[in-house]
Amino acid sequence: MKLIFKIVTAMFFIILLAGCSQKAPAMNGADGMGQVSDAPQFGDTVSINENSYGSTGQSGAFGNNRYNSSTDGFQSIYFGFDNYSIGGDMQEYITHNAAKLRSIGNATVRIEGNCDEFGTDEYNYALGLKRAKSVKDSLIAQGIPASRMSLVSFGESSPVCNEPTDECYARNRRVDLRIVR
Amino acid sequence: MRYFIVTFLFSLLLFGADAKLTIEKNADNRTKIALIDGSQGVSETLSQKFFQILLADLKISGHFLADTTHHKGDFQSNMFPPSIGNKEYVFKYALSQQGGLNLVVSLVNVTSGNSIFQKSYTMTTQDKYPFLAHKAISDMNAALNFPDISWINRYLLFSRYVGSKQSEILLADYTLTYSKVIISGGLNLFPKWADNEQRSFYYTSFSGRVPTLYRLNIYTGAKDMMATSEGMLVCSDINKNGTKALLTMAPNGQPDIYELDVTTKQTRRLTDFGGIDVGGRYVDDDSSIVFVSNRLGYPNIFRQSLFGSGLTQVVHHGRNNNQVDAYGDKIVYASRESSRSFNLYLANLNGSQAYPLTSTGENQFPRFSSNGKVVLFVKQQGSGSAIGYINLETKQSEHFSLGGKKVQSIDW
Repeated sequence: MKLIFKIVTAMFFIILLAGCSQKAPAMNGADGMGQVSDAPQFGDTVSINENSYGSTGQSGAFGNNRYNSSTDGFQSIYFGFDNYSIGGDMQEYITHNAAKLRSIGNATVRIEGNCDEFGTDEYNYALGLKRAKSVKDSLIAQGIPASRMSLVSFGESSPVCNEPTDECYARNRRVDLRIVR
Repeated sequence: MRYFIVTFLFSLLLFGADAKLTIEKNADNRTKIALIDGSQGVSETLSQKFFQILLADLKISGHFLADTTHHKGDFQSNMFPPSIGNKEYVFKYALSQQGGLNLVVSLVNVTSGNSIFQKSYTMTTQDKYPFLAHKAISDMNAALNFPDISWINRYLLFSRYVGSKQSEILLADYTLTYSKVIISGGLNLFPKWADNEQRSFYYTSFSGRVPTLYRLNIYTGAKDMMATSEGMLVCSDINKNGTKALLTMAPNGQPDIYELDVTTKQTRRLTDFGGIDVGGRYVDDDSSIVFVSNRLGYPNIFRQSLFGSGLTQVVHHGRNNNQVDAYGDKIVYASRESSRSFNLYLANLNGSQAYPLTSTGENQFPRFSSNGKVVLFVKQQGSGSAIGYINLETKQSEHFSLGGKKVQSIDW
């Protein structure tokens, strides 16, 4: 009986170890070694350096505690989250900007819409544009000719701060004004 | 008696292990494969990177369960090391550098010993070696008649911010191991392939007085101005044969969706809404579009015919769905669910049967692969981005970090 148990135990080990052996296959089958692939992605591509665009300009100040990233004496207009309507607290800055435009003759101004980092590519640029358009419409309502204003949206590409705070996000939801030179 | 007890316990151990193996096999029917690296005359660094790319390709395919050990051996040899274990296939390969970068591969069926797929590849530009790995794995996958994974061969095209009003447009392989800056200097955004062959792409330049849409041939450098618009200008999609493009533009300060005839460069307005309409995508065999609009007071997905009729709300879920992509009868969209939570949802073209593809973090920019079977997306990681992939059939997912830079827009 002991002998039988010994044989059975040994067979278990033999079966177990047999699983570790590895067959060494022969090299045959279809021969495609003569083929040479030259996928489109293998080719060389160009690299282009475009002209550098503009600068961030100098910051102005409006004589109170508000931030301002406009230049040439204009005051930035700030907006709520996902919003492009001009709040009541921004009306005095619209009036200020209209007066400034009247004081500089026929110079044209570029109205730049900006967003915080939330939102996504196209929608954020459209939101920035709607903010710029709201400022333009408000200035038209104060008698400024539309022909003196151009619009552009920079989306979230031109933040004035990068801190992960609500105050920082609010500073980036803005419209800046600059004289076109 | 003690022999009986020992044998009984050993039997339990064996049968227990078998039962576990059976369960695992049933739960994972992927093909078991080992790689044997027979490269000669290449650096250890290149050898390691190449092996890791092969592993990534096998994983994201969802068809293979690859041995992650970097086995090395003679490419010509018929002998496999015992350490490869019980695999169905062995993928032998050898990189060499003679007049460029060369790769030879052979797929061997371990049971029969037959080599069922062999091929050689060569390229002159060595920095693009990841594409050698991708091409070899996709060819081998096709040789086994597995579902197509040729999307791994395609270029990724994306823009990233590098400073205030400064961005770059890059080409990359899907793992980001290869990347090349195609356009630098200034603010150049929204790159979008202009053809299925990935020879040219559209992008928006802010270098002039107004945003300008260009088409650039990546092989010749030929650049063609396509359109201009005050305010903003984006190429959102192209039709199947590349003759028409959907633009978001705002000639009067009002962002709406237009269709561009690529040959005549004439545009036709498709939407007319006082709020925001953006992100058009062709659907219904190029006879309709889906797009993002805030006409309900928040961003959501809508659909209408190319002739302006039949406007319908597609998505009836969430309160901030601001990106969408479409393929066949499916859409994938991004939904903002809290201040720092953006998730992706897959749904039918009519919005039914929506289910989440992601559950945590900031996941945006969903894009279907060229065969619609994989969704690419951008995951925000701190101040930078990672590019992620979800295989819709096999549920495999993978992501690759962009190294602290933030993606502006992406296409592939």
